[in-house]
Amino acid sequence: MRYVALVLAILTGLIVLVGYFVPALAPVQDMLLTWSIILAGTATLVGVFNLILVHGTKVTKREKGSIYSALLLFCLFAAFIFGLALGPDHPDIRLLVDVVIVPVEATLMALLAVTLLYASIRLLRRRANVMSVVFILTAVLMLFASATLPFGEIGPLNDFLRPWFQHVLALGGARGILIGVALGTLTTGLRVLFGADRPYGGK
Amino acid sequence: MISPDLIAGIFAFLLSLMIFSYLVGDNPLFRVAVHIFVGVSAGYVAAVAWWQALWPDLIFPLVSGPALQRALLAVPLVLSGLLLMKAWPALSRLGTPSMAILVGIGSAVAIGGAVTGTLFPQIGATINAFDLHKAASPFEVLINGGFILAGVATTLVYFHFSAGPAAGGSVKRFSLIEIIAFVGGIFLAITLGVLFAGVYSAALTALIERLHFFGTFFGLGN
Repeated sequence: MRYVALVLAILTGLIVLVGYFVPALAPVQDMLLTWSIILAGTATLVGVFNLILVHGTKVTKREKGSIYSALLLFCLFAAFIFGLALGPDHPDIRLLVDVVIVPVEATLMALLAVTLLYASIRLLRRRANVMSVVFILTAVLMLFASATLPFGEIGPLNDFLRPWFQHVLALGGARGILIGVALGTLTTGLRVLFGADRPYGGK
Repeated sequence: MISPDLIAGIFAFLLSLMIFSYLVGDNPLFRVAVHIFVGVSAGYVAAVAWWQALWPDLIFPLVSGPALQRALLAVPLVLSGLLLMKAWPALSRLGTPSMAILVGIGSAVAIGGAVTGTLFPQIGATINAFDLHKAASPFEVLINGGFILAGVATTLVYFHFSAGPAAGGSVKRFSLIEIIAFVGGIFLAITLGVLFAGVYSAALTALIERLHFFGTFFGLGN
């Protein structure tokens, strides 16, 4: 089974990769990409099923917090059954999203304003080094430059410092991070295609 | 009679209030809201996976497609069946080939995306920062381009962790690498500071929107 999985991963990966450069392989590449979409959809169902198993076990064993798990399962089955019967674009399902998902996500985002402020204060107390000071100073500078101040805009801050920080200094760092992430992705992907890494199982 | 919109508004208001209660610490109201959120989201995601991936790409073509397409779709059908075995620990090994195909194709797509979507455009943009025709002053272009190039190079060096043996049995990066990495750390701190300010602004906007929602709910605003 281990070698079958290895051969399948390398073969399908190489066909899709070579398909980018060899037009003759494009139909096979398209077919494999469709298969991967199907498998990703199935994997989503497996993930949701695992969530049901975990919380179902909590409910049946009457563990601590099982009432929350029962509530979660009720909401999950209700949303799934209605979503399956009506489709995700049905007005009633959109209403469900607007009533539950959107307000909770927006409020969690709003909570972030408080937790981020708290975390940035703690940062200076716990790790007062050059990087922390530069980080906080930059953040404060950017916030001051973007806020509507009662005494009007600070000319040099808005006209020179903020654009220069955003479009030169931060751009350089962000580009370094992006290139680093891309190099990491490339290396990890190649390790999977060469069989050095087997995150799907096997040693 | 109470309108459905009012009921929806009351429910959204209550959920928002329950989430806000986290400000005084973890409490049962917050947990109830979070479990409702996770349950509804998971159910919705499962329904979306069915309607946007499994139904149009697998089930519908299997039922009504031409014979050749149906024959070819037998493969992902079997693979999907095997993947479902991952949910049972005793049978999870059967899902390994499906996972291998998913990971193999995912890796190839990630490599293609990283090279054509990030590496080439970002390196090209770093080179183009020295384009003397872009600004009125060549001096400004050279200074800004130099800072951007320095930021890219030193940030990459910051994540270079090769080290050699040092006194006392410890390991240490080379002195030159340490110095360049320090400069890279400054660039990183500035970048993260700018990103933090952006995220904080978005979070403040969300906070104001929520407070406005509360005000509107009680008829304090419009």
